[in-house]
Amino acid sequence: MINDTVVELSRWQFAATALYHFLFVPLTLGLSFMLAAMETVYVTTGKKIYRDMTMFWGKLFLINFALGVATGLTMEFEFGTNWSFYSSFVGDIFGAPLAIEGLMAFFMESTFVGLMAFGWQRLSKGQHLIVTYLVALGSNLSALWILVANGFMQDPQGASFNPVTMRMELTNFAALIFSHDAQAKFVHTSIAGYVTAAIFVAGISAWYMLRGKHIELAKRSFRMAALFGVLATAGVITLGDALGFVGGNAQPSKLAAMEAMWQTEPAPAPFNVAAWPSQSEQRNTWALQIPYVLTPLLTHTLTKEVPGIQEIEAQAAQRIKNGIPAVEALKVLSSDPTNAQALAQFKAHEKDLGYGFLVKRYAANQDVSLATDADIAKAAKDTIPEVAAIFWTFRIMVALGLIMLAYFILAVIYTLRNNVQNQRWFLKIAPWMIPVPFLACETGWLVAELGRQPWTVYEMLPTWMSASSHSVGYMVFSLTGFVLLYSVFIAVEMYLMVKFIRQGPDEHPHAPAQPQTGSGGAYAPAGVMMKREEN
Amino acid sequence: MKTLIQFLIYLLIAVVVIVLGIILGDAASWYFAWLVGTVMIVLISAAGGALLDTQEEEKNKAG
Repeated sequence: MINDTVVELSRWQFAATALYHFLFVPLTLGLSFMLAAMETVYVTTGKKIYRDMTMFWGKLFLINFALGVATGLTMEFEFGTNWSFYSSFVGDIFGAPLAIEGLMAFFMESTFVGLMAFGWQRLSKGQHLIVTYLVALGSNLSALWILVANGFMQDPQGASFNPVTMRMELTNFAALIFSHDAQAKFVHTSIAGYVTAAIFVAGISAWYMLRGKHIELAKRSFRMAALFGVLATAGVITLGDALGFVGGNAQPSKLAAMEAMWQTEPAPAPFNVAAWPSQSEQRNTWALQIPYVLTPLLTHTLTKEVPGIQEIEAQAAQRIKNGIPAVEALKVLSSDPTNAQALAQFKAHEKDLGYGFLVKRYAANQDVSLATDADIAKAAKDTIPEVAAIFWTFRIMVALGLIMLAYFILAVIYTLRNNVQNQRWFLKIAPWMIPVPFLACETGWLVAELGRQPWTVYEMLPTWMSASSHSVGYMVFSLTGFVLLYSVFIAVEMYLMVKFIRQGPDEHPHAPAQPQTGSGGAYAPAGVMMKREEN
Repeated sequence: MKTLIQFLIYLLIAVVVIVLGIILGDAASWYFAWLVGTVMIVLISAAGGALLDTQEEEKNKAG
């Protein structure tokens, strides 16, 4: 049996690398489309300032992109090194979207990102715009395939377990990519990236305006970021509700944990605004509730009951009992794959196979036929994820989302009145808002992944079975190494970002000095008139 | 002639979007929503930039 400490350290290592990587991803997803929007204005109006904007923000995009790629590569190898049983069990399904991500999306964005960076003098305006859109599309398609793979872990669709090969096999590729969980997760994550980029651009633009530097570029960037951000934030909140609805149907235990709902209550149930859940006592030691709100929020009806944690745990105990014969049948089939009786027994209990695996951990000699009621009760308790952690990370994410919506509403009002540069209090707040979407993205990821426990593949493969059998020392060494290396990556990103932000945009890249005229009054930074590019 | 070609291109895009909507409507409604939503966000953001230019020009003319 794999050492529990090794499993925990494997989880910590993947969580650490994923959380570090996810500091870069959202900005790439959103900033790529913001660059496309800026360049669209440049191509349609011919105004050079929009080219300057695209080039300046593009420089910051490239720094983030490069470090994002570096931090992402290791995770694909981690599946093989630290999660070898998982990779063997679901590799046929999980490998397909990851391979497509590498071959299609990643190659696409990597190819075109080079053209985007170095193609300003070599491509026509229209061609360069197409390249920028392809970079944005490639970045987001990359996220799509990763989230299709993750969607399978959350709600395994389009696959079945083959008792002869002893692993899961792909049965329906369309079901895999069109699974509701994968779709809702992709749109929610991608649009969260748009919000991140909008706050990043707005925050830095506000900082420029406060210091009276690059005013015209900052005003336009702020305007575009505010509109981009307000729509994206409204979208991400709506899509978050949709993801909760879809995910709640697929994973009732995650939903119950998110709401710290211990008992099934008659509809419409009250909503816990804040609570202190006690996992050991299976109750909230205190709770601030709003009556009648939970049921319509989660089920979009007034009458459908939301199952509580205790009911889910009782159902899990029943499913564990039902899954034990499936595991017993597998044991027979592993030595005699043609045994018809064992195959029939497996088919009869197949849907609860994963629950049978859960109790293996507690049964004497890992023999499920020896599992006692106490073992089953322990395994059933395992099906409930960490309620307090999920409850609070979810609330932090939602609160941050609402703060960002309020921020963008104000930003849009000020910028549409064209007096944002006079709202100094708002400009002072804006740079401090930059960490907020990153924190929201991290907490969102934590809710999704902590809520999936104790499974790597929901209701199919328990986490405790999925890890590789490394030594504790190896795991501690590699975890420390990753944390140090990734911390260096973050420090490099921060250093480069701050350096290029302080340096500011090169307002006349690749162009001879323009004579100052009064004809380009539309953008007059600090009294200096920039000549409108003639095209 | 140029206007006609532009009109035909936009018409073609509209037809492709409608056909995609019909095909993806049931199976991939979220992906379709992302596609439409992203285009809308990008275009409204771009329009915001262009609007600022107009506001600035008017302000300069007035002032």
